[in-house]
Amino acid sequence: MNNILLLEDLPEIRAWIKALVLQVFPQAQISEAARVHDALGLVSAVKFDLALVDLGLPDGSGVDVVAALRESQPEVQSVVVTIHDDDEHLFPALQAGAFGYVLKEQPREHFIEQLSRISQGEPPLSPSIARRVIAYFAAQARPQANSMPRVQLTDRESEVLLRVAKGYTLPEIGVQLSLSRHTIADYVKQIYRKLNVSSRAEAALEAQRLGLFARSF
Amino acid sequence: MPGARVSFPAGLRAWAGRMALWALGLWAGVAVAADAGPPARTVREALAVASDSPRFPADAAATVQALPDDWSLSRPDYEGSVWYRVTFDAPGAVDRETVLAVYVERVCTNLEVHLNGHHIFNGGRMDEPVARNCYYPQLVPLPAALLRAQGNQLDLKVRGHALEHVSSRQRAAGLSTLRIGPLAELAGTWRTQQFWNVTSAQLVGVTLLVLGVFMIGVGWFNRRASYLMYFGLLAIGWSALTARVWMSEWPVANGTAEFLVTIGFAPVVGLVVVFLLRYARVKRRPIDLLLLAQCVLLPVSLVLAGPAHLYTAITVWYWVLGIEVLVAMVAYLRITWRNQRSEFWVMGAILVLLGLLLVAELALSGGSGSVWRGHVLRYALPLLVLVVSFRLVQVFARALRAAEAGRSTLESRIQEATLVIERNFAQLAELRVEQVTEKERKRIAADLHDDLGAKLLTIVHTSESERISTLAREALEEMRLSVRGLTGKPMRVADALADWRAETVSRLGQAGIEADWNGPTEEIDQLMSARGYVQTTRILREAVSNIIKHSGASHCKVRCTIGPHEVGLVVQDNGRGIPLELDGRLDRGHGMSSMKHRAKQMNGQCLVESGPGYGTVIRLTLPL
Repeated sequence: MNNILLLEDLPEIRAWIKALVLQVFPQAQISEAARVHDALGLVSAVKFDLALVDLGLPDGSGVDVVAALRESQPEVQSVVVTIHDDDEHLFPALQAGAFGYVLKEQPREHFIEQLSRISQGEPPLSPSIARRVIAYFAAQARPQANSMPRVQLTDRESEVLLRVAKGYTLPEIGVQLSLSRHTIADYVKQIYRKLNVSSRAEAALEAQRLGLFARSF
Repeated sequence: MPGARVSFPAGLRAWAGRMALWALGLWAGVAVAADAGPPARTVREALAVASDSPRFPADAAATVQALPDDWSLSRPDYEGSVWYRVTFDAPGAVDRETVLAVYVERVCTNLEVHLNGHHIFNGGRMDEPVARNCYYPQLVPLPAALLRAQGNQLDLKVRGHALEHVSSRQRAAGLSTLRIGPLAELAGTWRTQQFWNVTSAQLVGVTLLVLGVFMIGVGWFNRRASYLMYFGLLAIGWSALTARVWMSEWPVANGTAEFLVTIGFAPVVGLVVVFLLRYARVKRRPIDLLLLAQCVLLPVSLVLAGPAHLYTAITVWYWVLGIEVLVAMVAYLRITWRNQRSEFWVMGAILVLLGLLLVAELALSGGSGSVWRGHVLRYALPLLVLVVSFRLVQVFARALRAAEAGRSTLESRIQEATLVIERNFAQLAELRVEQVTEKERKRIAADLHDDLGAKLLTIVHTSESERISTLAREALEEMRLSVRGLTGKPMRVADALADWRAETVSRLGQAGIEADWNGPTEEIDQLMSARGYVQTTRILREAVSNIIKHSGASHCKVRCTIGPHEVGLVVQDNGRGIPLELDGRLDRGHGMSSMKHRAKQMNGQCLVESGPGYGTVIRLTLPL
């Protein structure tokens, strides 16, 4: 993790996060931004390995930055850093390609642990997010939503999602399904990826429907 | 004696005749007239002299003329009077109980009767304008005082017009056979004949007039059924034409009267054609104009032809008019066959019958039929008009009913539509209120997050004091829950349980406490309010915090039960319990009172059982 983007409008919090990130990745070069505009400028100029993105910003939503990163630098892990823990705020960011989220007000130890877990490929998944993901893919599977490159969850991924939605924690599910912690984490990662791929396909289709697709050629 | 014998059957016949009148359509007159009893004598020949003299010209050379005498055959082109003389014996004349009479079934145009030189009767004016009695049967009582037992002389002066001077063979001059017999017997025959010849025509005329006025009224108020108006005019026109039958005293001479009757046919036929076309929903202006032109052309042509050639001219016109009607009927039937198959059969039957009668009528007026049998047509045609008009009324009534049904259907549809619109409007209004409320809630939530949240967060991460930092973090969580209670929609109880389980198990696990969550396994479809969810979350979170911070427990059991109207949570740990304060209450520092307060706010209950060394049991019951 060499280049890290940190988008956060509150200076104190940005400093606090920066300190914690440096604890996790002591070698990192951290590019700081307080606005969506600045962050987008950085995205087009610097190649990042990790991005920590706040959602509610003075000049817009961090979701746009997540989407821009996914577009131009697909390898970047975007992590949402937010005080919103509800699926209403988080789900659009996850659809745009965010790879997990960290709540800002957590004690530093928890914050560090979650951040390192995500960067190691173990994103968190709450029951409410899991329910949204289930509902999303169920809607995609309906015959009306045809002519779309269909992205489907595997049975195992669906199984994991269903158990998370029922309130089981990931370690518990690992025990129930006799799967290792890493395997479970892989499933969750795969779910996030598919959510993003499917959402992008849907967005492209929607754009085509509105004639934007044709105009872009 | 013979008189008594005679009068009985005569009365019977009169009664039978009257019965027949009631049973319209029975040709009762024929049945009664057919068997004249022995007392009545039919006269089949007479001495005839063509003369205008006021008395039978005894000096002139009389010829024997067979009766009936049709002038168009016996003396064509003769205009004026002819005297007929019949000699008869009246042996019963001495018997004063029997009154004799002479019955003339048809005399055209008028007659005057003399008995033994005495002028005893005339049927109206004998000079122009001559009374037009062609359709009236005549019954002349013979005064007993003037009768002799033998050799009575009955002189009839008949005034008539040549066929060429009239427009119908029925009004050409002529005299039928005579019958001489008891008045009572002949009166029955006369009444019957009078009814069928004249009264029926008057009845038809009045009926058509009433019908016509009715139809015009209906057509006037329903312009879409304009054919009803044409039919009404047609009926009235026809009614006017019946005057030629029953009206005997005309203020004008024969030539003018015949002219007036004749020109009436053009508009009536025109109306027939227009009616048929309109009834078939066809409107052609050129045809209308042609028919109108015909109404002018017919009189002009008659004037040009002159009164001496009236019959020839009008016969041509009858054929033209008849063919027009036939063509119109065929056109009507063809259109109806294509458009309204059901109507075709009814009107088709009527019109075919009408067509046949028309052909018969034309053939008759052309001369190839008997004058004496022409009556059938006169009744059949108006009867058919009546049938057509009843059919029209029926069709119209049906259309009216259909329109009424259509109107009520429309009305109910409008009512339904109105209801839907009202409902939609109410829903929209509700939705709008909801949208505004939702928007306002979101704004407040965003403000809270952005301002209060950011400040609390800054305190969390900048405070030197761990206690302040914790308090700020707790405040932040509180704020988030409050916002959620503010903006959230009702959620499924199953989802709420999942959230609580995930949080509780995860937190206890991080604190190294073994968690044992025991929840309902069956599907739960109940909903709970966002507020209820938030408050329960707070209470549960507080309880778990207490266990983590204060109890020193190694094991925690949570049992959830969902009833039809409440949710129950029992949180039990194996820790050291909560120490009692001096006043016997549980330690306030453990947040027990706030938990209880919150439960109370939700109309629920929060019971805490604890004792030093026995662990703590928190029983929470909240209504759904």
